[in-house]
Amino acid sequence: MFERFTEKARTVVVLAQQDARERGDSAIDTGHVLRALLAVPDNLALMVLEGFSVRRADLEADLAGRATAPAAAGSVEDADALAALGIDLDEVRRRIEEAFGPGALDRARAPKRHFLGGHIPFAKESKKALELSLREALALRHNYIGTEHMLLGLLHGEGAAHDVLVARGVLLGVARVIVDELVRGRRAG
Amino acid sequence: MTEATEVAAAASSRDPAIGLAGVAALRRLLESLEELQVANARAQGWSWQQIADALAVSRQAVHKKYRRTVA
Repeated sequence: MFERFTEKARTVVVLAQQDARERGDSAIDTGHVLRALLAVPDNLALMVLEGFSVRRADLEADLAGRATAPAAAGSVEDADALAALGIDLDEVRRRIEEAFGPGALDRARAPKRHFLGGHIPFAKESKKALELSLREALALRHNYIGTEHMLLGLLHGEGAAHDVLVARGVLLGVARVIVDELVRGRRAG
Repeated sequence: MTEATEVAAAASSRDPAIGLAGVAALRRLLESLEELQVANARAQGWSWQQIADALAVSRQAVHKKYRRTVA
């Protein structure tokens, strides 16, 4: 079903999968998808959220608050080991996050990515949200699925992403109008 | 760096356990940064060849390493 996805939308799917894998989760839930959506720079979904004056960092914090899994271990030892070489890991992290958002370095920090681990399946709710993103795109007469449609799909569906977004006042009906206006003004996914 | 800490750093680097742990940590940091930057480059429309050139590696190497994790 990913043929119509734009490059950025595909990146979101890949990042969501990666995020789930690194957190040791058995399925990709809507929280992983939303987190990935927030992580891809300069995408239309982020512009829609800007329209609601919702800050990326707040959503990430909301999602983190719902997460049960602890943060990846080993980074404290790494920080010490790097400090011995004169490298300040906290400073590296600070600069990376300045450019790429909170958690960017840890997201990429995959312990041992041997691809034989295989794909992590989508949870029912996130699969549904992706299907709904297609439906949202069709309703707007767009012939591709971009990050903006993925955001609508998450809002339309159920799950962690939906709950977090709605709690921040991001409403489906309004979001549709914003997407429509944004895409009219800028013909690109 | 004061003289004392300099000596301490020099001494600690002679300890293989510390020295090797530093290399391992550095490698993990490198891998994380590389993945982040490759994903970012792809998201901004860079070709695998452009990324490979910037990293000074072959296109095949970078593509093989990241094609499954980065779009």
